[in-house]
Amino acid sequence: MRDPAASETGLAEKVKGPVAAGTGPTEEVKEPAASGTGPTEKAKEPAASETGPTEKVKEPAAARSGPTEKAKEPATSGTGPTEKAKEPAAETGPAEKVKGPAASGIGSTVRKAGQQGQQRASAVSGVETEVKSMASIYSVTQVNSYIKNMFVQDYLLNRISVRGEVSNCKYHTSGHIYFTLKDKSGTLSAVMFAGQRKGLNFQLQEGQQVIVTGSVDVYERDGRYQLYAREIKREGVGDLFERFQKLRDELEEMGMFAPEYKQPIPRYARTVGVVTASTGAAIRDIMNISARRNPYVQLVLYPALVQGEQAKYSIVEGIRTLDLMGLDVIIVGRGGGSIEDLWAFNEEIVARAIFECETPVISAVGHETDVTIADYVADMRAPTPSAAAELAVFDYRQFEEQMQRYRDILTRRMLGQVELKKHQAEQCRLRLMMHHPQRQLNEKRQQLADMEERMGSLMEQKLVDRKHRLALISGRLKDLSPLTRLSKGFGFVTGADGKRVESVSKVEMGQELSVRLADGTVKTKVEGVWPL
Amino acid sequence: MEEKTGTRSIEETMEELESIIEKMEDRESTLEDSFACFERGMKLVKECSQRIDKVEKQIMVLSEESGEAYEF
Repeated sequence: MRDPAASETGLAEKVKGPVAAGTGPTEEVKEPAASGTGPTEKAKEPAASETGPTEKVKEPAAARSGPTEKAKEPATSGTGPTEKAKEPAAETGPAEKVKGPAASGIGSTVRKAGQQGQQRASAVSGVETEVKSMASIYSVTQVNSYIKNMFVQDYLLNRISVRGEVSNCKYHTSGHIYFTLKDKSGTLSAVMFAGQRKGLNFQLQEGQQVIVTGSVDVYERDGRYQLYAREIKREGVGDLFERFQKLRDELEEMGMFAPEYKQPIPRYARTVGVVTASTGAAIRDIMNISARRNPYVQLVLYPALVQGEQAKYSIVEGIRTLDLMGLDVIIVGRGGGSIEDLWAFNEEIVARAIFECETPVISAVGHETDVTIADYVADMRAPTPSAAAELAVFDYRQFEEQMQRYRDILTRRMLGQVELKKHQAEQCRLRLMMHHPQRQLNEKRQQLADMEERMGSLMEQKLVDRKHRLALISGRLKDLSPLTRLSKGFGFVTGADGKRVESVSKVEMGQELSVRLADGTVKTKVEGVWPL
Repeated sequence: MEEKTGTRSIEETMEELESIIEKMEDRESTLEDSFACFERGMKLVKECSQRIDKVEKQIMVLSEESGEAYEF
């Protein structure tokens, strides 16, 4: 896999090999090296002429020497491993920009490198003598290796940022990205290995202005050096950001972000429109979450372009189309990407389409940290498409549980009402019973009985009274009766005719008279009359 | 007068009874009058009592129909 790539770009991970194994730190070799790293052609030439090293070695190095000026100069001075090498470096230094903090700061590095070089020199003294004896002829490997060593020891090359335009960009299936950085007058091979891809958050494309941060190192096999990218940033992002701010401020001025225009997101949407790419993480996440939360919710996808020049029109069309379908809510968004990738969501026509959409819109663009105009104007902003799905699609199980709770509450309340009414009815019944006609009847009956008794007793009294009066009267009558007097020695005298005798003058001698006494009658004859 | 009691309420009848008793309470009324009152009064008492019994029976029928025993 790697081989074709390596052959294409002249690169392989192995580039960093055992250092200095074959590097003859002999004077002659070093000088060309020093000059080889010379930054500009100009600088290189004087070096070349001065040192006049073994031609073969120097030339390829010179030919390939990178174009970026600043980077190379410190490298030049830093690479000198021995004292001698340093001197020519200093001489070559005249390349204009050698001065500066970089040049001065390298001092210590240089010394160290020098010591190492010397040690190494003694270690490989065998080789050295041989090389010397062979009148300064080295193997290709030796030279490449030596040069590599110089690169490796250069602290600046180990962390360097290079500005340039991307060309020959190739995304390899292995995940590595091979490209060339160029500017007006030079090119620099560059690679970003798959393991470093997190340092790149946009799609690297031809013609982009970028700043690549990484290290410059030698690929020994091809005798080439290249830039190993750890991080790639786009230039020109500042412009986009300005446009973004300008549009945001304009729309805000117009009140398009005003809270009073925000429509509430329905809590129980049954149909959810989605404007996003038909392939990609966004729709997949939305579908997954929707299916998990609520399989009864219907998703309607408008497959839109979400990137590129046409994206804004496609998104606007999608919003309008779904709006006409009378759905409950619409999600507009896409997965993460660079600010350029997300740019369609910063377009005014998209913002207007969202603003005018009758259906509530949830924006879901990129990641949490990506905020677009669409997010400001949407009725609700979701940090990610997944989050949008969580907002738009209600959780069916929770919903069921909620419904169950409502059912319970309703039932309980209803039963409570029934109990209350029952109680009230019972109270009424009891009160009714208090006034039960039977009570009245009994009262009446009692009254009646009372009256009956009263009448009876009154009648009785009256009878007794009258009897009493009668007794009194008859008593008086008795007192007045002549018979009563008879009992006291008096007698009632009657003639033969039965008439009472009231005067002596009415009787004659010998006349028979009857004298009634209390207990009987005496017959008598008149034997004398004596008037009073 | 007697026919009328049928259309009068129990209460009205009882009012008449009260007035009869009042008359009887007058010591000066004649025995014959008192007796006439007494006779009328007892007749009214009987009537009233019958009518009360009748209403009570109706109540008991109602209570049976509604399955509710009356209680006080």
